[in-house]
Amino acid sequence: MASCAVARDAVFALRREIARIEGTLPQRLDTPAATDDAGDAARLRIGVAGFDRLLGGGLARAALTEIHGHETRECGAVSGFALALAGLLLGQAKEPGPVLWVGMSEVFREAGFPHATGGQALSGIAPERLLFAEAARIADVLWVAEEAIPLQRLAAVVVEVRGNPDKLDLTATRRLHRRAQAAGRPVLLLRQAAQAQATAAPVRLVVSPALSAPRRIFAGPLEASIGRPAFTVSVDKCPAALPGLFTLEWNPDECLFTERANPEIRAANPVAVVSLSGGRTDIAPAAGQIVAFSKKGASGAGGQPASQQHGADRGPRRTG
Amino acid sequence: MVSLHRNNTVQIAALDARAEALGLKRGMGLADARAMHPSLDVVETDPAGEGRLLEALADWCDRYTPLVALDGADGLFLDVTGCTQLFGGEKPMLDTVLAQFSAQGFDVRAGLASTAGAAWAAARFRGRLAVAPGAERELLAPLPPQALRLEKPVCAGLDSVGLRSVDEIMAAPRAPLARRFGRELLIRLDQALGRVDEAVSPRLPVPALVVERQLAEPVVLTEDIERLVHMLATALKADLERRGEGARRMELSLFRVDGAVSRIAISTSLALRDPWKIRNLFRERLAAIVSDFDAGYGFDLARLAVFSTGPFDVRQSDLAGEAGAEEDDLALFADRVRARLGAGAVVQPVAVESHIPERAIALRPFAGKLLHGGGQRVPQPLLPERPVRLFGRPEPVEVPATELPEGPPMRFRWRRALHSVVRAEGPERIAPEWWRNGEEAPERDYYRVEDSEGRRYWLYRLGHHEAGKPPPRWFMHGLFA
Repeated sequence: MASCAVARDAVFALRREIARIEGTLPQRLDTPAATDDAGDAARLRIGVAGFDRLLGGGLARAALTEIHGHETRECGAVSGFALALAGLLLGQAKEPGPVLWVGMSEVFREAGFPHATGGQALSGIAPERLLFAEAARIADVLWVAEEAIPLQRLAAVVVEVRGNPDKLDLTATRRLHRRAQAAGRPVLLLRQAAQAQATAAPVRLVVSPALSAPRRIFAGPLEASIGRPAFTVSVDKCPAALPGLFTLEWNPDECLFTERANPEIRAANPVAVVSLSGGRTDIAPAAGQIVAFSKKGASGAGGQPASQQHGADRGPRRTG
Repeated sequence: MVSLHRNNTVQIAALDARAEALGLKRGMGLADARAMHPSLDVVETDPAGEGRLLEALADWCDRYTPLVALDGADGLFLDVTGCTQLFGGEKPMLDTVLAQFSAQGFDVRAGLASTAGAAWAAARFRGRLAVAPGAERELLAPLPPQALRLEKPVCAGLDSVGLRSVDEIMAAPRAPLARRFGRELLIRLDQALGRVDEAVSPRLPVPALVVERQLAEPVVLTEDIERLVHMLATALKADLERRGEGARRMELSLFRVDGAVSRIAISTSLALRDPWKIRNLFRERLAAIVSDFDAGYGFDLARLAVFSTGPFDVRQSDLAGEAGAEEDDLALFADRVRARLGAGAVVQPVAVESHIPERAIALRPFAGKLLHGGGQRVPQPLLPERPVRLFGRPEPVEVPATELPEGPPMRFRWRRALHSVVRAEGPERIAPEWWRNGEEAPERDYYRVEDSEGRRYWLYRLGHHEAGKPPPRWFMHGLFA
């Protein structure tokens, strides 16, 4: 028992040491509530209590944050979420600087170019506050991002990449993260249509669109209208190492997130609850049922399960 | 020997000294020449290749003077006014030029004179002659009229009336000459004699400031070139300070030992003076072009030219020396990215007066200074509802033919995947700009639709259903948050 306690002590000491090196205190050891309502300048509060608590008081400002999207067609939600975060950042800054958006040409071609008017309508970021840089190769994208992070004027750097390029590995994300820490600047790494991968970013969010609530007018909800943008945000990785799934709604008029109390807004039309697989949406349904042949008819290999599975055409031919 | 197709015959266009010794001449039929000497080695002429060679030579001649002009298909004009003393005078310069050409294997005729016309005549009809100022008349007098750069019919006309030398033309009365042969003849004559100014229009723009450095030993390494840039930029700084300006567009010309010239251009968003900043920009550019940059046997002359300058506002720094550095940082960052990735690498969206969504925002190269157009929050209800991602060219969408003719589609297929629309808002009709596309161009009806999984799209229908016309087509134009 004594040796076990010593070992646990050693583990805790090591954990503290790691936390000290990483510059974060492990939330599981501290009480999360301690940072709950303290206005922490180093963190960006989303405004949703559960979300902020899970992230230890909000998104770290001086850090790399990964935002994933499952598919390219969901990139509207991912970019909208990133723009909303940038809008929050700019709204809280005293002297808002521009946001630099660095993207690979491939993602701008596949998912469309970020539209400044749409961004302004969504997050209130004026077109003059946006800068775009485009590069064809991932190495150049990372170079531009690394050069840009230390610039004092920039409010945030958004790096957008599609898929899982080899060069964007643990080392590359670590470089981005260290630079973000050194410069005290938020860096958002948007990864469209990407698989989860080892990353140095302390936080990884997976954003997908959620059905929007109808618009509200004085008379109540307006039927069949598309209201405020809604996102399903899953906290995939965070320092507290706790899972979290939130349905957030973004209010573009007041620039704040709200958590949807009742996430079960269903489509008005009856649609499949389980989504069909991507890209192969309308497979013809199976024409009939597979009926096992009776054991009696099969002679030699009759008892084998393989022959049963192979069904109708094989069995009779062997017997006859 | 080089042959040429002209007027349905194959003629000799150029030939070397050995062929000349055999009694062959330019303009002779190739068949005749072959009949005389069956073992002739004939190559067909390649005008494009020769043009390229002449351009390359003109590039190389930049080392003597920045004012180099092409003359027809086989000549170069070098305006060496003010450059001769750098080479020890007119005759030594002419000798240097000829020696360096012949070292490269070119057989060159050159003439040097106070007027372009006289130099032309000296080069074509005398060779290796530096004509003293005022001696143009003596040079031209015994030469045939062709020495005046005249067109063939004029020469033939002069020949037919017995005027066989420039001397005789000069002696003839001017008015009848002009009446008979056109003003061209007299203009050429006056230009050659220096009575009328003739401007040699240079091939390349003339830079505002130039510094250059001749090297005894050619350099090959990129680091050495960077150091060289720094030296040149330091020399340039004094000139820029005197003018109170900074460089906006610069070009580094590297003259390779074997005659090839590499030109590396950079442009900056803020006027620059600091040699270190200039050096850093060229370092990015060199890093970007390293794959198609061939140092060969090294460069023996480097020149840094400033093509455009801008006012350089000297800012007083505070005691910490930090004042105003931030804006510059952004501009320098943009310049560095542009130097490496090309001019369109850093762009800034600018709102343009247009209702067409793809034209409403123009992407302009970042000019170093952030625009402070609005800055304030525009109340959102005043803004049109626009997607956060916009496709540069709208992508066609298949909508089943069973759909209703009006209103949004219930199902559509985009990028081979079928989407079923749950909710839709619209239409927002955007008419094309008649002054651009004509009045007949179809309008677009935009719908904001949400599919069964909450993805929000911006679709539009181009045109309407009309009897006897093909059905309207649907396009995907953007993605909403």
